[in-house]
Amino acid sequence: MYDHFETPEPDEAVKLALRRIEESTARGEGSEMDGLEFNEVVVNMGPQHPSTHGVLRLVVTLDGELVKDVIPVIGYLHRCKEKLAEKRTYFQYIPIVDRTEYLASINCEWGYVLAVEKLAGIRPTRRAEFIRVITGELMRIASHLVAVGTFTADLSPLGTAMVFYMFRDREQVLDLMEELTGARMMFNYFRFGGVRYDLPDGWAERCREFLKTFPAKIKEYEALVDDNAIFLQRTQGKGVITQQDVVDYGITGPNARASGVDLDLRRQRPYSVYPELEFDIITAHHGDIFDRYRVRMDEMRESLRIVEQCLDMLPKGPVQLGSLRAPYVITPPPGACYVGQENPRGEYGTYVESDGSRYPYRLKFRDPCFCNLQLFPKILSGNKIADAVAISGSIDLVLGGIDR
Amino acid sequence: MDILIGILRAILFVVIAYAVVFVAALVNILYERRFMAFIGDRLGPNRTGPQGVLQSIADAFKMMGKEDFRPLLADPVLFTLAPVLVMIGAVSIQLVLPYTQGLAATQLNVGVIFLVAITSFTTLSILMGGWASRNKYSLVGALRAAAQMISYEIPMLLALLIVAMIVGSLRVGTIVAFQAHYEWIGFYSPFTFLIFYIASIAELNRGPFDLPESESELVAGYATEYSGMRFGMFYLNEYAGLTIMSMVAVTLFFGGWMGPWSSALTWLGVSWIGILWFLVKTYILVSMLVWIRFSIPRLQVDQLMGFAWKVLIPLGLANILITAAIILWVPSWKWGLAIFSWIAFFAFVGLLDPILKWKLRRQRERQPVVSA
Repeated sequence: MYDHFETPEPDEAVKLALRRIEESTARGEGSEMDGLEFNEVVVNMGPQHPSTHGVLRLVVTLDGELVKDVIPVIGYLHRCKEKLAEKRTYFQYIPIVDRTEYLASINCEWGYVLAVEKLAGIRPTRRAEFIRVITGELMRIASHLVAVGTFTADLSPLGTAMVFYMFRDREQVLDLMEELTGARMMFNYFRFGGVRYDLPDGWAERCREFLKTFPAKIKEYEALVDDNAIFLQRTQGKGVITQQDVVDYGITGPNARASGVDLDLRRQRPYSVYPELEFDIITAHHGDIFDRYRVRMDEMRESLRIVEQCLDMLPKGPVQLGSLRAPYVITPPPGACYVGQENPRGEYGTYVESDGSRYPYRLKFRDPCFCNLQLFPKILSGNKIADAVAISGSIDLVLGGIDR
Repeated sequence: MDILIGILRAILFVVIAYAVVFVAALVNILYERRFMAFIGDRLGPNRTGPQGVLQSIADAFKMMGKEDFRPLLADPVLFTLAPVLVMIGAVSIQLVLPYTQGLAATQLNVGVIFLVAITSFTTLSILMGGWASRNKYSLVGALRAAAQMISYEIPMLLALLIVAMIVGSLRVGTIVAFQAHYEWIGFYSPFTFLIFYIASIAELNRGPFDLPESESELVAGYATEYSGMRFGMFYLNEYAGLTIMSMVAVTLFFGGWMGPWSSALTWLGVSWIGILWFLVKTYILVSMLVWIRFSIPRLQVDQLMGFAWKVLIPLGLANILITAAIILWVPSWKWGLAIFSWIAFFAFVGLLDPILKWKLRRQRERQPVVSA
C-alpha cells in the first residue's frame, strides 16, 4: 500500500545537489549573512516544465531568486538510435536518422548519408548536391525560426505573439519541403548517391517567391524585439560564453560564432558544393544572449543567399546515380569514417564503422546540443531564475538530438 | 419595512457584484484569447458556439468536472480557504463604484480609501494559497506576488491621493459628479492616470508584470498545485480583475457613467444609458490592457522592484507636491494643472524609452568583448 506521508527517496541528481550544498556550507560559503541563516532550496525544473523545451531535467539549487548550482539530467527521450543501426541495413537506417534531431532532420540525414558515401566511395550526382544544399539551408531557416521563437516565448507574453509569427513563416518552408519530399518533418529524402525525388514542376519558382518575401518578415521580427528596451535589458551582457569556454566545452554552431569564433564547417571543412557558393560567416563579439539571437537572425539571411545561388546554378541531370538506382543494399568496405557537418545547432558528426557486411558495425553521432548542454552548470549558476530561463532558451537545445 | 428594503437592496447589490465578476471573467477570457490570436495572426477559439462565444462556459464546466485534488502535505484549511477568499477584493470593490446614476450600493465617504484597502485582499489569498500548497514554485510565486503588490500599492495610492486632492472629497460619487461636462480628471492630470494605470497592471499580475505566475520560470506560480474549480477561482478572479480595475480607472479618471445622453433614459430612478457608457469606457481600457500584455516582454524581479521604487514612487511624490502647489497657489488651477500634467505625461512617455536605450547603448559599448 502506498503510504501518503512517506517522503519519496530523492534520486541521484537530487542527492548530488544536496551533497554539494552540504559541502559548501561546510566550507562556510554564503549560507549565513549577518547572523541570519539562508536555506538553499533544491528545485526540479523539468522534465515537465514549460521552459525546458522537451524533456530536459535541471536540478537547480536556488538561493532566493539566485541560481547557485545546476545539474542537468538527460535520458528521458532515449530511444537507442545508435544501437538500432547495428540491426538495420545502411538504407533502412535513413528514416531513423530523421528522428534524432527532429527540428533539422534533413541536415541529420545529410550527415549520415555523407558518412556512408565517404565510406563506400560513392559520389552523388551534381544536381543532387545542389538540391541537398537547398533543402539543408531551408531547414536551417525553419530550425532557426523555432529556436528564436521559443526563446522569445520564454522571455515574455510578447513572445507568444512572436512565436506564432515565426511558426506561420516556418509553415511556408514546410509546405515547400512537403511538396518536394512528401513529408513535413520526417523527410526520408536523401539517398546514397543522390536524393529521392527531383524538384516538382514550378517548385523553383515557388521557392524563389519565398526567398523574395522572407527578408521582409525577418525585418518584421527585428522591429518587434530588437528595439525593445526591456528585451535588450534582459539579453545584453547576460550568459556570456567566452572563447575559452568554446574551446573547453566544444561549443559549435551559432553559439560559438556569437563569441567571435568563426567556426563553420561549411567553410572550414567544406563538403558538397559549398566551396562554389558565396556566403558570409556571421560572427558577433560579446557572446551574450543578444548576440546569439542576432547571429541566428543574420544566418537566416545568409541561408536565403545560398538557396538563391543554388537555384541559379542548378544543373540539369539525374538526381540519383544510375548504378545505384535501387540502393537498398550497399556494402561499404571494412573501415571507419567520421564526417562532421554543419547543422543549424553546430557540428553534427557521424561516425560509421563497417565490417564489410550489410549492417553498420557501429554508429555514433556527435550531437551539437549534447556538447552545448555541458556548459549549463557553468553558465547558469550565479544568475537569477528569469535569466537562467532566458540563457537556456538562447542556447537552443533539442532533446531528441541529445538523448538520441 | 425600511429594514426589509435595506436587506433586499443589500442582497440585490451582492448578486449584481457577483454577476459582474463572473460574467466579466467569462467574457474577458474569451476576449483576451481572441484578441491575442488576432495579435499573433491566428484565429483563436472559434468552434464552441458562433465565433466561439461559448468557449469560456465550456471551459468552466470542464473545470467543475475535474477531480477536487488537494496535495496531502498541503495545509488543509488555508489551501481550501484561499480560492474562496480570492474573490473578496473583486466583489466588494464594486460596493463603492456607481454603475450609473442611481445604481450604487453605498456612498461611503471614505470610498477611495476603501478601494485601496480592499484591493490588498487578493494579495492575502494569493500568499495563503502559495504558502499552503507546500510547493517551492508556489512559494516563490506567492512571495513575488506579495513583494510586487506591496511595492506597487504605493504609487497607486499616491495617484489616488491626487484625485482626492483635486476633487476635495474621498466619496466616489462626488468624484464622478465633479467630472460632469467632460471635465475628466484623466484630462486634467493624465500623468496621474499613467502612474495609476501602470500600478494597476502590476496589481493585476498581468504582463509585463506577471512575475508571480511567469509560466516560463515558475510553471504556474502560486497556482501550481491548484486544479479544477479551485484553480478556476484564481483564474476567474484574475480575469474579472481586468474589468474591475478598468471600472475603477473609469470611475476615478474618465467620468464614470457620464457620456452623451447618459441621463436620457431614466426608469426606476436609474439612468440606463449610463451603464452603456460605463461599459464602453471600461472595455476600451480592457483592450489596452490586453494589447500591452502582448507587446512588452516580461520584466525581471529586480527591474520590476527598481521601476516601482526608483521611478514610479519618486515621480508620484513629485507629482503630488507640484499638484498640491498648483492647486494651492495658481488662481485658475485647473488650467495650470492640465498644462503641467500633459507636459509631464509626454515627457515620461517620450523620454523613458530613449533614456533607457541610451543607457543600454553605453552599457553595450563598455561590455567586454570576448572575441579579442
